[in-house]
Amino acid sequence: MSVDLSIASMLAMYGLMVVPLAIFFYLQLGLIRDTLEAMLRMTVQLILVGLYLKYIFQWNNPLVSLAWVAVMMIVANTSTLKKAGLRCRLLFWRTLASIAGSTLLTSGWFIVVSIRPDPIYEARYLVPITGMILGNCLRSNVLSLERFYSGIRKNEEEFTTYLMLGATLREAVRPYLRDALKAALNPSIATMATMGIVSLPGMMTGQILGGALPVEAIKYQIGIMFCIFTSTAVAALTNILLSLPAAFDDHQRLNHAIFHPSP
Amino acid sequence: MITFEGITLLAHQKTLLKNTNLQIEPGDKVVLHGPSGCGKSSLLKCVIGAIPLADGTIQVDGLTLSAETITEIRGRIAYIGQEPKLGAQRVEDALLLPFSFKAHRHNQPSKGRVQELLQRLRLSRDILEKPSAQISGGEKQRIAVARALLLDKSIFLADEITSALDPDSRSAVIEELFRPDITLLSVSHDPIWIEKADRKIEIQNQKLLETQP
Repeated sequence: MSVDLSIASMLAMYGLMVVPLAIFFYLQLGLIRDTLEAMLRMTVQLILVGLYLKYIFQWNNPLVSLAWVAVMMIVANTSTLKKAGLRCRLLFWRTLASIAGSTLLTSGWFIVVSIRPDPIYEARYLVPITGMILGNCLRSNVLSLERFYSGIRKNEEEFTTYLMLGATLREAVRPYLRDALKAALNPSIATMATMGIVSLPGMMTGQILGGALPVEAIKYQIGIMFCIFTSTAVAALTNILLSLPAAFDDHQRLNHAIFHPSP
Repeated sequence: MITFEGITLLAHQKTLLKNTNLQIEPGDKVVLHGPSGCGKSSLLKCVIGAIPLADGTIQVDGLTLSAETITEIRGRIAYIGQEPKLGAQRVEDALLLPFSFKAHRHNQPSKGRVQELLQRLRLSRDILEKPSAQISGGEKQRIAVARALLLDKSIFLADEITSALDPDSRSAVIEELFRPDITLLSVSHDPIWIEKADRKIEIQNQKLLETQP
C-alpha cells in the first residue's frame, strides 16, 4: 500500500502551486484567477468523486456501479459533441449509443474474459476501467467527428460530385470517413509505440504506487491500452455511421443544423 | 425530358425564381443565360436535388423528384460543374471513379474506349498518369466531360463548361454534347455555345422566359 498523505503533506503539495502562480504574477499573464478557479474545481470534484467511489466500492452493487458508469458516459458524450462543434439536440442519442457500445464492449471483454474478478461486477474494477477507457477515447471521438463533418462541409461540391457519379451516401462519405479515422487513431498508435519510454502510463504508475509489482502492473497497462485503442476505433466508426441519418436529409444533403453556429 | 412546374427557388433569403414553368423535350439543347446570381446554376443544382425547391415540382423522364426517386434521377443525369471536382489524386482514378461505386461497378469501360474518347476531346494519353492537382482548368473540364460520357447518360447538365477551353477543345466538347441523342440543359456565356443551342432561356423577373434566336 502507498503512504497516505497527511493534511500537512497535502498543504505542501498545494504550496507547490505558488511557483506557477508567482510566474503568472511576475509576467502579468492574467492566468491567476483561472488557475485558482481550476484548482478549486479540481479539489471539489475529486473530493466528491473520492466520496462517491468510497461508497460505490463499499456497496459493490452492480446497479449502482452501472448508474455511475452511465453518468460518466452522458457527460463524456455531451462534452464530445460540444467540442466537435456539433449540436447535442440532433445527435445526442446516436453518439451516446456509440460511446456506450464501444466502451462496454472493451471493458466487458477486459473484465469478463481477462481479469475475471469475483464477483464479476466488482466495482473496484468496473468503475475505474470503464472510466479510463471513456476518458482516453474522448479526444479521439472529438477528433473523428469534427474531422468528418468539417471535411464534408468544406468539400460539399466534391461530396455532391460523388453522389452525382452514382455513389450511395455511404460511398460518398467514405473518403471523409477514412480521413477522420486516421486522424483519430494516429495519435493513439504513436502513444502505444512510445509507451514506457517517453511516458510512464498513469494506470501502471498508480498500481505501482498502490503496492503492485511492476510486472503485474504492466499486464494491466497492456490490457487497458488495447481496450482504449479498440474502443477508439469502434467509437470513431460507429459515431459517424450512427450520426449519418440525422446529419443528412432524404436527398443526401448535409443538414447544416447539426453544426453549432461558428464561435 | 425535364419538366419544371410552378417552381419557386430561394437562395440566401432572396427569391430567384417564382412560380415558373419550363418543359425540355428529349434531344433539346437548352442554354440558360442572364446576369450573374440570377439563379441559373442553382436551377441546374435543383434538378439533381442538391438544392431544395421552395415550391413546385421537377420531373425527369416522368419521375417526380422526391426522396424516393432521387437516386434513380441522379442515375439518369450527368452533371458537370463550372470548376469540376475530380475527387481523386490521379487523373485516371478520377476518370474511373464512378466505376468504383456499386452502381457502375459492372460497366467498366475498355481501355480502347477511354483512349478514343480522350483523343476526341483533344486530351493526350499521358494525362491519365498525372496528379489531378497538376492539370489545367481546361483539362479538368474535359476530364469531367469524358467521365460523364463514359457513363452513357442521356441527360446532361452543364454549367459553364467551356469557360477555360481553347477554341479547338471547345469545338470538341460541343461536338460530343450536341449529339442528337443527348438532352442538354446548360448555363453559358460563351457566344458560340449559345449560338449552337436550339433553345435560349432567360431568367427575367424571377421567370424562365424563352427568347427567340
